[in-house]
Amino acid sequence: MGLRRLDLTSFRVFSHAIFEPDPTGTTVLVGPNGTGKTSLLEAVGYLGLARSLRGSPREALIKNGEERAILRADLLMNERELLLEAELLREGRPRLQLNRQAIRSRKDLALAIPVTTFCPDDVTVVQGGPGGRRELLDEALVLLNPSMAALIEDVEKILRQRNALLKQSGGRLTAEIESTLEVWNERLVNAGDELVAQRIALIELLADPINDAYQTLAGSTEESITESYAASAPAGLAQGLEQSQREDLRRGLTTVGPHRDDIEFLLDGRDIKTQASQGEQRTLALALRLAVHLAARSHLGEAPLLLLDDVFSELDPGRSRRLINELPRGQTLITTASPLPEGVDPALVLDVVDLVAADG
Amino acid sequence: MYTGSLRRLIDELGRLPGVGPKSAQRIAFYLLKVPTEDATRLAEAIIDVKENTELCPTCLNVADRGELCPICGDARRSTTTICVVEDPRDIVAVERTGQFHGRYHVLHGALNPLEGTGPDQLKVKELLGRLEPEGVEEIILCTNPNLEGEATALYLARLLAPLGLIVTRIASGLPVGGDLEYADELTLGRALEGRRNVAPSEEN
Ligand SMILES: [Zn+2]
Repeated sequence: MGLRRLDLTSFRVFSHAIFEPDPTGTTVLVGPNGTGKTSLLEAVGYLGLARSLRGSPREALIKNGEERAILRADLLMNERELLLEAELLREGRPRLQLNRQAIRSRKDLALAIPVTTFCPDDVTVVQGGPGGRRELLDEALVLLNPSMAALIEDVEKILRQRNALLKQSGGRLTAEIESTLEVWNERLVNAGDELVAQRIALIELLADPINDAYQTLAGSTEESITESYAASAPAGLAQGLEQSQREDLRRGLTTVGPHRDDIEFLLDGRDIKTQASQGEQRTLALALRLAVHLAARSHLGEAPLLLLDDVFSELDPGRSRRLINELPRGQTLITTASPLPEGVDPALVLDVVDLVAADG
Repeated sequence: MYTGSLRRLIDELGRLPGVGPKSAQRIAFYLLKVPTEDATRLAEAIIDVKENTELCPTCLNVADRGELCPICGDARRSTTTICVVEDPRDIVAVERTGQFHGRYHVLHGALNPLEGTGPDQLKVKELLGRLEPEGVEEIILCTNPNLEGEATALYLARLLAPLGLIVTRIASGLPVGGDLEYADELTLGRALEGRRNVAPSEEN
């Protein structure tokens, strides 16, 4: 498994850059601010997750004044050489190709380049709205079992279609709207209930690993983390959709379903979102990523490619050291604005300025 | 960069499905080089197909002007079974399997609210109008194995099953999310053979 070479064109600040990380160990990216250390991790993350690590819109990823950004990665996966390419346009869908074949599902990305990311923004998963928690859970589902991507994409597509129909209804349930709404409801019930069941099973699978990771990072077994899935339709979507139909028609969108669910975390009974310190929230954010990473390693037989974006500057030395101890060996890319904590053993240190290709 | 007429040709070619700007340019320069007769033949073929082709009044397949399509015009084909497809190209795919000897009905699309396609935009009324006169006993739902095609099949199953018809759906096993058009004839043949009765779920 691993990233051999990444070729960037018109991505963020880069006109053209070539990045060759250490194939199995830790590569540390250094360089003054604004030279694109994080952008490089963002490019790798984009190939694995089809989104920006920083949550940036696609236009922000394309260099100013350019029409498109191109990413080209040489990967080695189960001893197979893969070429993964992404073309990001200012307008229209990004084009992704694996060995020159169009990619239709995030499944192919998860198979080609499984990644785990740690970023300073991760704390918003704990502090912020439910969207970040659902995204973490769904990305973990796909990382552990890439064919889950089809289910998640089905739910997204059904919701888009159902919402378009609700908008067209203008709030009125005519016979035609009703007969087609029934069809989309049935599709949504099937796919939505399945996705919720998969998420709940994953939470159960991760419960102990999350608690272990939290206690290890906190350096104390005094308090434990528990979590529960808060479904917007606790009795199933068939009933949920029936009860919300009037509201859905009025608002022109689907108000219950897996896209409205949440995950609640408790620290010894305290709601960690509202009743915990910033430090506890940050520790949980790290513990969630770490638990998923370790679970993925045991599922895949090898650790996913690990991206650590400026993580240590936010952590005290104790937590930094404990995180490093817990991270399994494997290909790792690190950017850092502060000195590297003890225990990090870089196989390669690269100055980002040196990656800019001579041809401009 | 180009003269007016060349620019216009490149623009028109670029509007064709699957033709990007580079291909449009390549085709335009190719046409510029070929003998006039060849270019005229192509232009005439385009005009001819527009002037002399319309939809078969029965099944809405493409047909010569004023005539039934070759399938509806073939008296040997059974009228008791109708295979419902989204697009005339799907008829070609099913015909290649050599396993179907009934008639077709072309919906000209699939349910797709995002694109504004509802039942009224599909040729559903035309299908209902054929059931009695043709003595139809079985409807095979052969819409694409993607989200919109499955929703359309489900919609038609709910509509048709109460009318006392046998309603079947081609078996899964086709590449999910794909188009019928691209399925090879063996796979599509097996999907047809393995078609299943669809009973819409019970309403409580
Ligand atoms: Zn016909």
